Amino acid sequence: MRPPSPSIPEKEFLFSTLEKSLRLDGRGLIEMRPLELTFGEELGHVDCTLGKTRVLAQVDAKMVRPLPERPFEGIISVHSEISPMASPEYESTGRPSDEEVALSRMLDKVIRRSDAVDREALCILAGQRVWHLRLTIHCLSDAGNLLDCACMAGMVALRHFRRPDVEVIGDEVTVHPPSSRAPVPLSLHHTPFSLTFALFAPSSSHTNISSQTAPITLLDPSLLEQRLASGTLSLALNAQRELCVVHKAGGVPLTPEEVLSAVNIAVQKAKELEKMVDARVREDWAMKKIEVR
Amino acid sequence: MSSRSDGRLRGEARPIAIVYEKLDRADGSASFAFGSTKALASVSGPIEVRLAAEQPSKATFEVSVRPLSGVPGTESKALSASLRALLAPALLLSRNPRTLVQLVVQSLAPSRQTGTGTGLFGAPLMAAMVNAATLALLNAGSVPMAGVVCAVAVARVRPSAAGVSSPALVLDPTEDELAASDGGGCFAFIFAAHPTPEQSDAQFGSRLVWTDWRVTGGGTDVDELARAKLLARSGVEHVWQQVKESVGRAAVVPAPGLSQKPSKTAKTEDVEMKVDEEEEDDDAKMEI
Repeated sequence: MRPPSPSIPEKEFLFSTLEKSLRLDGRGLIEMRPLELTFGEELGHVDCTLGKTRVLAQVDAKMVRPLPERPFEGIISVHSEISPMASPEYESTGRPSDEEVALSRMLDKVIRRSDAVDREALCILAGQRVWHLRLTIHCLSDAGNLLDCACMAGMVALRHFRRPDVEVIGDEVTVHPPSSRAPVPLSLHHTPFSLTFALFAPSSSHTNISSQTAPITLLDPSLLEQRLASGTLSLALNAQRELCVVHKAGGVPLTPEEVLSAVNIAVQKAKELEKMVDARVREDWAMKKIEVR
Repeated sequence: MSSRSDGRLRGEARPIAIVYEKLDRADGSASFAFGSTKALASVSGPIEVRLAAEQPSKATFEVSVRPLSGVPGTESKALSASLRALLAPALLLSRNPRTLVQLVVQSLAPSRQTGTGTGLFGAPLMAAMVNAATLALLNAGSVPMAGVVCAVAVARVRPSAAGVSSPALVLDPTEDELAASDGGGCFAFIFAAHPTPEQSDAQFGSRLVWTDWRVTGGGTDVDELARAKLLARSGVEHVWQQVKESVGRAAVVPAPGLSQKPSKTAKTEDVEMKVDEEEEDDDAKMEI
């Protein structure tokens, strides 16, 4: 059968264009692919595309008994399995592949451990009833940087979702259907965005470039760039310049200054993304006429 | 004649929406929707197969179904086994031995539409999945097919709800209608040229290939099943027409900037001249 991509001509072409600070799809080195958010009929259903990479996220909520050790907090569970739809490389056998494990760990850190969603606001009746939010991530197409797209889809779905309004009088809990009372948005402390940089080691064949040259960093790698990269740096941060996750597992070494410059670039992008996501979510809510006044 | 809550006739399906999703890493992909009951399917194949799944005389056909919320459980496994059973006869798997045809179907219908337990709620979604799978296979164009499988759901609404004395059969039920019904199922038909024993040529038509008709209350008999099948057959003709039309509409659009069309008149003139020359040469050669 055909040996796996990338082939030697692809590899050489990519490296030679990178030396000229060009990318194969014509983007700038720190330019992201166009991001598009499409919301479904239900609240909390969003289809996120980053160029050709496409991820679907869906949130639903139900009332359950809280965990005994945390009676005042709601529960958030994130499910993300990569099916062969994303790419024929992902097998449908039970054992999770490396990418699946990396994706679910990153989603766990970005969405649950970063305390993005206020869990105490999900409590209805302490010790008896809390909201259990279930976020399901479906990777429809992996054309590079599935991680960022999936984290984005998950966070936007949580931003978009609204839970039914609940009234608690004493021990009685009344859940109002969306037709009688407008559903309530989730209480989010902040919105972290994941931004991945692909690192390429500088070629040592040029004699006039010293070996101390910084590696080339590309934001939002495409599939070929991701495969040929000699390391990746994933940053999850919010528009308030707060870092949630810094993930650099092996790969070409970076100096602290290089990491900080990547953080600065990422903060700029996070601010732009925050504005764009906020505008799109409000636009969709207005279109759905949720708040009947 | 009692009409339905959304004004449809008994044998009328909800508006059908077909989109060829153009997923980047799949050979073919498409989504099919009956109203808000939507399913997305992607096909890759024939591709490399795991040694354990390799078959010497035909392609391995794997189907995987994913629900919209949560992880795939036993219901998804059952759905994928059913899908595999009803699509396998339509595919000529023996043309590509030692390869894999991989079908992944993603449910996009909200979970309250699929329900649990009775499985009655799953009939419109099952029909949407079958149709999405067929469209994805047609879009891929790489798997030889013996026919086109289309499906539609039928429900038996209880007398009190429908306002008639006897239970009424309706096509493509909504979730409210399903909640008020005590029987139903999905009917899948294959559209192909079927050889008939009477005539020498094969006749094109639809044939029932799979159904999961069941009743949960009251009884049923063979006549009722025959009537349900008739209703489903008329409904599925409409689905098949939509599928056929969509294939015509999904023609490949040439990349912008690539096609600099020369003036058509000049081109045909050239062709005509060449043809004349060839004819003259042939005539010259003939008259030896």
